[in-house]
Amino acid sequence: MVRTQISLREHEYEAAKEEARRLGISLAELLRRSLRSILPTDDSKPWMRYAGMVDSGDPSSSQRIDEVVYGHKD
Amino acid sequence: MDTKTEAYVDTSALIAFADRSDSYHDLFRRLFADPPRLFTTTLVVAEGHAWFLRRYDSHRGLRFLSLIEAMEPLRVVATSPEDQAGAIAVLRRFSDQDLTLTDAVGLHRMASDNVEVCWSSDHHLGLTGVPLVIHRY
Repeated sequence: MVRTQISLREHEYEAAKEEARRLGISLAELLRRSLRSILPTDDSKPWMRYAGMVDSGDPSSSQRIDEVVYGHKD
Repeated sequence: MDTKTEAYVDTSALIAFADRSDSYHDLFRRLFADPPRLFTTTLVVAEGHAWFLRRYDSHRGLRFLSLIEAMEPLRVVATSPEDQAGAIAVLRRFSDQDLTLTDAVGLHRMASDNVEVCWSSDHHLGLTGVPLVIHRY
């Protein structure tokens, strides 16, 4: 690991801290994940940079797509 | 990359790949890292985009579309009137199931294209007997 220092706007810092708290990770881990989502990975497989692009917190999210897209039945 | 086998990709495979919380995320991450030839339909792309819009926002919806654009091994096929007619027949055959038209078009295309495996975590996609990849691992 390389240590570095960055400057953030106050509202960005607060928003990032809140998102890290929601996900249960450190601010540093949140920033590392954010970087990984925009930096090129394997140039021969550019789609892999999108793997894990969101963290819904729902382990069944891929099996509940219809509920989200089409809604619940009354 | 395998150039012989072509697998059908359902919305659930794309969401599992994109959502690191999903219990199938690690499996689909591995599968998409070394994929055979893949195909899906424009309906699946629309459904995936709608999931991101409803669950998140337009920015993440656009990132999902960027994922589709970047995924070179994935062929996206348009839904023809014949596909729609075939899908309606599937819906009538399985009228006791809550199948969407997107699911039914996928089931129809897998049958008409003799697809050997379906990338999905949705058991509806196994209704016609095409093996789901989640049962192979």
